[in-house]
Amino acid sequence: MPKLTLQYEGRLLKEYSVGVGLTIGRSPDNAVIIDNPAVSGHHARLFSESGAVILEDLNSTNGTFVNGQHTTRRMLRSGDVLLIGKHHLVFEQTQEWSVAPPQLPALGDTVYLDTQQHRALRASLEETRADVQTRQAQKAPAPRRIGVLQVIAGRADETEYDLDAHTSLIGKSQDALVRLHGWFKPAVALAIARGSDGYVATPMGGRTTINNEPLDRRQALQDGDVLNVNGLVLEFRWKDATATESAA
Amino acid sequence: MRLRVGAGTHTGRVRDINEDAYMLRADDGLFIVCDGMGGAPAGEVASRIAVEAIVRELGQPVRGVRLQPDRSGRGGAAATTPAYLPHTNRLADVVRRSNEVIYDQAQKDPRQTGMGTTLVGAWIRQQVVGIAHVGDSRAYLWHDQRLEPLTRDHSLGEAHIAAGRLEELRRMPVEYQQALVRVLGRDPEVDVDLKEVPVQAGDYLLLCSDGLTRMVPEYVLARTFHEWREPQRICDALIAAANNHGGADNITVVVVEVTGGWWRRLSNRWARSARRGQYAEANVAV
Repeated sequence: MPKLTLQYEGRLLKEYSVGVGLTIGRSPDNAVIIDNPAVSGHHARLFSESGAVILEDLNSTNGTFVNGQHTTRRMLRSGDVLLIGKHHLVFEQTQEWSVAPPQLPALGDTVYLDTQQHRALRASLEETRADVQTRQAQKAPAPRRIGVLQVIAGRADETEYDLDAHTSLIGKSQDALVRLHGWFKPAVALAIARGSDGYVATPMGGRTTINNEPLDRRQALQDGDVLNVNGLVLEFRWKDATATESAA
Repeated sequence: MRLRVGAGTHTGRVRDINEDAYMLRADDGLFIVCDGMGGAPAGEVASRIAVEAIVRELGQPVRGVRLQPDRSGRGGAAATTPAYLPHTNRLADVVRRSNEVIYDQAQKDPRQTGMGTTLVGAWIRQQVVGIAHVGDSRAYLWHDQRLEPLTRDHSLGEAHIAAGRLEELRRMPVEYQQALVRVLGRDPEVDVDLKEVPVQAGDYLLLCSDGLTRMVPEYVLARTFHEWREPQRICDALIAAANNHGGADNITVVVVEVTGGWWRRLSNRWARSARRGQYAEANVAV
């Protein structure tokens, strides 16, 4: 049940339950009455709409502020602080249910977890996942190897290429990691995809051989494989990335 | 490399309105499927806004690509994150912008408060598919007689698996497992999952809403690709299969075939006629 807490200069004055909605103002017919000349007769109202509570300013003279921002209409989130005149109103969305979440729609519906409790659950899941990752990283210290392509023969811009992107391309394209030069070279001859456990080469437009066998389908790369991509000869090797970093 | 595209959307057999939206720009190699949520009319609106915003943003000149905000709190993790190709980054950027557009509109109009949409987008350039993904709409690649999933749903169930909380997952009812933990339009910022896959002639890309994958098991998807080989026929067959299995949700399917030269198409056709009628025995793997 969402509630509003009326505060003035740090003192708690009163608590209100929002229910389906309420009005805030100086007139006595409001649910939240603030007797202060800076507050309009009917200053603002709250109403709920498909589970969310929305604040609407009713064209008040001095305006309504949420978390310091002037607001005419917005969806409130738990913890938002409304400023009306000199009075603060703290909006809180409290959960009554503790175990069973609210109505979950029938199978086949697309549902999004958006309540406060679910936010906390999402956050804790993220944390656990991060912890698991950190623990795995600690368990196997420095397995951070990356693949490199070393140029053995042919025309290339560098002598060695680190395969540190998700996809490394070899070809004439300007997005290519290894640029091929010369006539009749394809835009993309070979793509090397980096997976969680290694690299996979996918032949595209060019003529590629691997260890002198034609490469015509996807193939995982092994340490020491020699690729010939349209005349450019490259050797695939594993390199310990941490060692080079500390050296550099 | 050429692309042949098939697409279809169906309200299903239970719903009154179709909240899915899809977009095809075969010439640019760009394909999007969105599954809106939030009830009428907000769900329909959200998925359409997402698609329109992406088309509009892609028409704009590049405004400096913003990289994924690092929420892990561990600066080192971001530093070692491998880079993506430019078109994948651009796709991620326009998806993030479409999130802002939906969020802003939802804040303005109380009738649309809380609307959101899932999104799976694929951009094929230089024979590499860049995939951007938020929610439980999925992408698959049919390659070498196998159907490979390219996305993992942003659902409570998958989040538990990623966190290693299998005990809790086992006790969780199925509708909770399917509840989404990430969609476009519900928060001012969103993390977009990215993936890149090189494609070859003969590969097929499938983008679909959960109306397909909740109704039709993956082996049936794989069999349909094996059987038909023709993008539009695959789409029609998949939508029919989803409706035969209940059709509880809107179904949207986009199938993109990567074709090579005429010899490749011919051998594909020959393979199909040779295998027709005996696919049940063929080694179809999922």
